[in-house]
Amino acid sequence: MWAMRHAYAFIAPFYLLFLVFGAFPLVWSLYLTFQEWDGLRPMKHVGLRNFAMLLRDQRFLDALGNTAIYWTVDVAFIICLALLMAVLLHTPRLSGRRFYRLVLFLPNVTATVAVGLVFIMLFDFNSGLVNALLGSLGLPRLGWLNSTGLSKVPVMVLAIWRATPWYMLILLSGLQAINPELYQAATVDGAGPVQKLFRITIPSLATVLFFCFLTETIDSFRLFTEPYITTGGGPGSSSLSIVQYLYESGFTVFKLGYASAIGYVLTVILMVISAAQVIFLRRGGGAMGSAP
Amino acid sequence: MTGRSARFVILAALIGALSVTSVGAQTKGFKAPPGKMVIWAFGQPKFLQLQIDDYFQRNPSEVQGVTAEVVATKGEEEVRQKTMLAYASQTWDDMADVISTFPVSMQAMAEAGVLMDVTSYLAPFKDKFVAGAYDQAFYKGRLWALPRSLRPQLLFYNKQILDKYGIDPKQMTTFEGYLEVGRRLKAAGNGQVFLSYEDPGSRTWRYWGRRGLMPQAGARIWDDDGNVVIDKDPGALKALHYFETLHKEGLLFNSVILQPPLYQATREGRIATFYIGAFYDEFLKANDKDMAGAWRVMAPPVFSGVNLGGAPVVDIVGITAKPNAPYAELYKRIWYDYNFNSPARQAYTLEVLRQNGPVQNPLSKAMLEEAFWKEPDPYYGGQSFKQMEGLGLRNVSKNMRVTTADAEADTIISAELEKFIANAQTMDQAIANMGAVLREKIGTAPANPDR
Amino acid sequence: MRSAARRAQAPVHLVLLAWCALSVFPLLWMVGTSLKPVAEGIGGLGSMVPNVPTIVNYEAVAGLLPLARNTLNSFIVATLGTLSTVFLCSLAGFAFAKYSFPGRDFLFLFLLATMLIPPEVGIVPTFLIMRRLRWINTYWALIVPRAATAIGIFYMRQYIAGFPSEVIEQGRLDGCGEFRVYWQLVLPSISPALAAWATISFIARWNDFMWPLLLMRSKQMYTLMVSISVLPVSEGLSTPWPVIMAGSTIAVLPLICIYFVLQRFQVSGLMVGAVKG
Repeated sequence: MWAMRHAYAFIAPFYLLFLVFGAFPLVWSLYLTFQEWDGLRPMKHVGLRNFAMLLRDQRFLDALGNTAIYWTVDVAFIICLALLMAVLLHTPRLSGRRFYRLVLFLPNVTATVAVGLVFIMLFDFNSGLVNALLGSLGLPRLGWLNSTGLSKVPVMVLAIWRATPWYMLILLSGLQAINPELYQAATVDGAGPVQKLFRITIPSLATVLFFCFLTETIDSFRLFTEPYITTGGGPGSSSLSIVQYLYESGFTVFKLGYASAIGYVLTVILMVISAAQVIFLRRGGGAMGSAP
Repeated sequence: MTGRSARFVILAALIGALSVTSVGAQTKGFKAPPGKMVIWAFGQPKFLQLQIDDYFQRNPSEVQGVTAEVVATKGEEEVRQKTMLAYASQTWDDMADVISTFPVSMQAMAEAGVLMDVTSYLAPFKDKFVAGAYDQAFYKGRLWALPRSLRPQLLFYNKQILDKYGIDPKQMTTFEGYLEVGRRLKAAGNGQVFLSYEDPGSRTWRYWGRRGLMPQAGARIWDDDGNVVIDKDPGALKALHYFETLHKEGLLFNSVILQPPLYQATREGRIATFYIGAFYDEFLKANDKDMAGAWRVMAPPVFSGVNLGGAPVVDIVGITAKPNAPYAELYKRIWYDYNFNSPARQAYTLEVLRQNGPVQNPLSKAMLEEAFWKEPDPYYGGQSFKQMEGLGLRNVSKNMRVTTADAEADTIISAELEKFIANAQTMDQAIANMGAVLREKIGTAPANPDR
Repeated sequence: MRSAARRAQAPVHLVLLAWCALSVFPLLWMVGTSLKPVAEGIGGLGSMVPNVPTIVNYEAVAGLLPLARNTLNSFIVATLGTLSTVFLCSLAGFAFAKYSFPGRDFLFLFLLATMLIPPEVGIVPTFLIMRRLRWINTYWALIVPRAATAIGIFYMRQYIAGFPSEVIEQGRLDGCGEFRVYWQLVLPSISPALAAWATISFIARWNDFMWPLLLMRSKQMYTLMVSISVLPVSEGLSTPWPVIMAGSTIAVLPLICIYFVLQRFQVSGLMVGAVKG
């Protein structure tokens, strides 16, 4: 229809920008995955060797495993906590709502780098606040940052602490779009708060929740700053994330072809997971294309 | 010839002779082209800026219309990254004129033709400098960077702790003795006092391994053909097993170095010694100010039989090989001034001290003899840190051979060591893994071009 | 409010306050440490309360960095970036939500797929492009590439999908051009989403440090976050932690102030549809 050309015009800027700043780097990187290059000396064509090496690279497999753990734990905690906070904030006639929203959003406002540094101190084995608290409760002190078993915990705590307010805000605006009459009708029918939550709130938020789920999946797979600052990926490779390994391969060790290969593997993994999520939710009825 | 003209000739000859023998072969009337000289540096670059600004002030005629900007970067990798990006875009405009670097990156950049060959410029000064000043800038028979300082590994010890437990520092001149001291401290201090620290991250390998125990034991990661030998080399095994002993007997305090928790523990008197580069002086003073008088410095322990100290760390600066290299000459003069102009160096050092900055000992043997560089330091109870550092350079081991594969090798080796320190594997497993992973991921390092 | 209702709200307040405390604690720790003189220890319980508060650390940071200029840079990049993204994303979101045109679903899926690409992979080629465009060390390099983001379009599309289509039809019948429909009808009604997105965008751009680090060459052009991040991370640098914390506080404070101001514009009420009634 005649309105269509406007539609194309409206969406054009994104695609143009993507072509220049997204597609070109992407294609170039694909070319790089078949090379061995340190940025200074001439490139050497190595075919699929980078990918073959990735499969046997224990450090990469560790990073993959770590990232998968980060994903599942982060998504679970963040979405639940964000939903909880949003629901609480949405309580009718809540006094101090403005204050709460202000303060609760602060973690997202603070630069991750700065807070990561604070966490280094807080989780220190010998003199950190967390262990001091544990000690005062008579519990043993734990090696948060310097043990291979627990090093992921501070990273996850930091990620959850930072991201929850963001999703809380999104869910809150979603909650505000729900027609209050639905709840009034449910009260008349004798529904309790838990039932309202599961029968009205969550279904109405389905699209928004899916959005949150998808975004957080992508973000947790791209986790970089949190482990980089707090644990540096160690000890060993116990808290290394994929993007961190990508960065290390590219800019600490200067194996640019290998880094590009990691980037592509990550992209493929993300595509598969996102596609799975979309299909799963489509079948579940919370379709992506329909309006709430 | 008449008397008068003879006197004139003699005078002229004298002046001529003086100019040649005075402060090097610096020609008069040099003028740098107007514009901006850009330097990419790391490690307190503001003091490099200070020295350059000072030079500019004293030599205004040379630098009319010239400004110098020292850009702070996070380290060797970032400078290399910036250099690589500029190089990839194939124009020299994005590249700095002068860059701080370290051997691994220097080699890669030299191969790519990014750095200027400074062999002939540096040759005349070799004998004037302390031994080993040029070692780490040497690659494929040429020199690729100018050294600004050479800092040895030293043993910092807390005299108050040793006195308290009746331990004589001289016991720590050998590694065997050092171990004994550690055991005594552990027994006498009820497990509260530790011989030294271990970093759960990458710094244990860097400070204990690469610059300390490994070179001192004559260890090798690669042989001259580039094959991986770290898991078989007797020196490497000796160094790593020694560290294993320190760790297993609980003599090391587990805490990240250069971070507040360790400074805190140090302040509380829980750490007796630091076996680390001389640069640590600056960190101790900045973060543990109140411990002035408690610390002393001595040459690091040695493996009896080998008797060499730790390997020194060089601070090197390369000049980029731009066409016409507009500021190469200017930087060489600044560098020369830094190394040979004694009054200027002393004034600069005093200013740096006033601002609590890092003091670099001179490379020039003649300068080291001056009284200024033997002045007592109250932080070390009257001992002269500068003098001890100078002495520490006398008996050093050579750094392990560095290749372009070493950046990756370091991450691999460190990862295995970190797992050992976190008690997730034994040292034997760590060593075996180091060998296996190095072979798997790197294969063979470049052969030694300078054997 | 009746006291019974008040009491019912008490557990809500309890949980919210607890989470507030957790949210604010690291920030307080940061500020507390920044006010400590360097010699004081910063470990253990009660570690964040300075015995002798001092602003020496802030002076030290000011001496190390061109703070005013860096703050200005951050501000310009963040503001212009936010304005462009809010505008372009809402426009595109509107198009995806309210128009049907051939290829729409495919293009939208494609858009989503682009979110999956980690930008770190494209550092070298991005730099080359910037070089070709002569944007190195300018604001453009930071503003233009992400002037329209996939996630922003996604968010806007979801939100605008709920906007009543009848209003748009009405507008068209009244003779509004497409752009005017967007500008005068849709935009005012989605102001909560715009405000939310603007806030998030501004914060993200202010806190960004990888791209400014890469694309800015001189100290004068660094954004605040880059300047600060160079403070602690180098072997030779012995910047004591209280100074680093002072730097972090300086980097974070303007954002908090701006956030306080911005959120006044966030309309928290329900969307008032022109169609109701």
